Amino acid sequence: MSIATSHTASDILSPIRHRAAVISNRQAATDTWWLELDSPEIAGRAEWGQFVMIGFGLDHLAPPFLPRPFSVGWRAEDGRIGLLVRAFGAGSRRLAELRAGERVLLLGPLGRPYRLEPGVRVACVAGGVGLAPFLFLAGDARRQGFDVDLLYGELTADKVFDIGLIEELTGEPPIVWTEDGSLGSRGRVTDGLRVEGGVTVLACGPTPMLRALAARAAREGFDLQVSVEEHMGCGVGTCQGCVVQGADGRWRKACTQGPVFYSSELTWPPS
Amino acid sequence: MAPELRQSLFGVEFQAPVLLASGTCGYGREYAGLIPLDELGGLVTKAVSVEPRSGNPPHRVAETPGGMINAIGLENVGLEAFASEKLPWLRDNLARAQVFVNVVGRKVEEYAAVVSGLDGEEGFLGYEINVSCPNVEGGTMFGTDEAALAELVGRLRRETERPVIVKLTPNVPDIGIYARICEENGADGLSTINTFPGMLIDIHGRKPVIGNVSGGISGPAILPMGVYLTWRAATACSLPVIGIGGIRSGEDALQYILAGAHLVQVGTASFVDPAAAATVQEEISSHLVGAGIASLSELVGGLRLPEPAQA
Repeated sequence: MSIATSHTASDILSPIRHRAAVISNRQAATDTWWLELDSPEIAGRAEWGQFVMIGFGLDHLAPPFLPRPFSVGWRAEDGRIGLLVRAFGAGSRRLAELRAGERVLLLGPLGRPYRLEPGVRVACVAGGVGLAPFLFLAGDARRQGFDVDLLYGELTADKVFDIGLIEELTGEPPIVWTEDGSLGSRGRVTDGLRVEGGVTVLACGPTPMLRALAARAAREGFDLQVSVEEHMGCGVGTCQGCVVQGADGRWRKACTQGPVFYSSELTWPPS
Repeated sequence: MAPELRQSLFGVEFQAPVLLASGTCGYGREYAGLIPLDELGGLVTKAVSVEPRSGNPPHRVAETPGGMINAIGLENVGLEAFASEKLPWLRDNLARAQVFVNVVGRKVEEYAAVVSGLDGEEGFLGYEINVSCPNVEGGTMFGTDEAALAELVGRLRRETERPVIVKLTPNVPDIGIYARICEENGADGLSTINTFPGMLIDIHGRKPVIGNVSGGISGPAILPMGVYLTWRAATACSLPVIGIGGIRSGEDALQYILAGAHLVQVGTASFVDPAAAATVQEEISSHLVGAGIASLSELVGGLRLPEPAQA
């Protein structure tokens, strides 16, 4: 059976390294920015769930000294890519402060993408900045004829990414959950997931959210692909820094063996 | 005219003085197509042990001021898989870049088994002996115990006729003593230095950031320590030295060269920019052109020390 992705098999291609100009960077929620970069090379090749390493190069010693992984949040025909940046620490704060015209060093596209079998119903479950890959995937997959739900959870309304922009990028407004009920439904985004009738679930977000979904997938028998996050050094498999534990107990590199895994491929220890 | 960057060492010619450091370039193939590997001086593989090692739990890496901390834990595929799966690619794809296999073990016999197990294979020049990993129990044992280091180097010398380079730890009171022990027991060269032990604490969780609790510090933050220890090692013995530690520019590399290094390795900088090593090579060349120096060899050990002050 053929497998649909946003692009034909490019796994074997080497990533591209280039300096990219910032086209725009606008605040899209509290501590959250939508960063657009001019990167035709990466835009032309990126697949759903792949990521880029973004940094400033060798002259830059302040955080982020090491490049940081970001999910490709959008790619446009004109060569733009979009990244969802949330300021957590000094490094991501600097990326949030990027201005139009500044240049960054990009490496990508990297990693294994999400894969969809033709005709499946798709539920994307996004926790916080885990929204990023689905801005790209949901609209793209809908245009290919997939039936896609996008469930998106944040702690509070002020953290919810610009709904108008989500609709513009994906074609539909997301189903929003906030833990305090300040926007959308009250509760955890995973509460909104309905799997009756068969569905492929794609998830990205905090590890506790992924763990809860993995437990449910094992119990209820649905297909779950998760995008994991771990501290990363190089993005291309050389440093072996970004490991997660496989179901067989061995370490898997999030950068090259992931970041997207079937949940059954991984071990989900209690937090 | 382009300056002469070639260096004749260990019985071969290095086309350029910059190598990729062990642990930062995998087994070479990971960078294929991304950087011009075969135009570099060479590379040093991820450490190879007799048996495969699974490595440490995450987090394994984190950023530190001007550098990083890592505790990978020597994760590697082991001797057998290295020989059958990794080495053939290096043999078939690198014609000009020189390859060293980094070797690690818990006991002398384990180091010797890796060396004897690989010695008949093709695709590499020699060995870089890791006696300086701070991230596994006993990882620096051979590098901080004079008698143990002498025994290890002597044994490996008897095991192979290929070049044996010893990668020293910075965590000793006088690196010159260890440099001389390597020389007296038959080593062909030294790599100075491996990482400094360090620790990073998450003040919110009140726990270590690194899964292994402590790790090794690398990157630009350690450049001056690396230059100093390279100078100490190079002046304590007559072995050729490969300088390592925080190099991210041609000027950084030339500090090591003036301190006495014949070659340098670029490590952490490759994570910042995969093109770092190639950039360092180009910048060395540009510097020589600008300074009117015909050959890099003229600068090796060319440090000019101040005259002692008159009493």
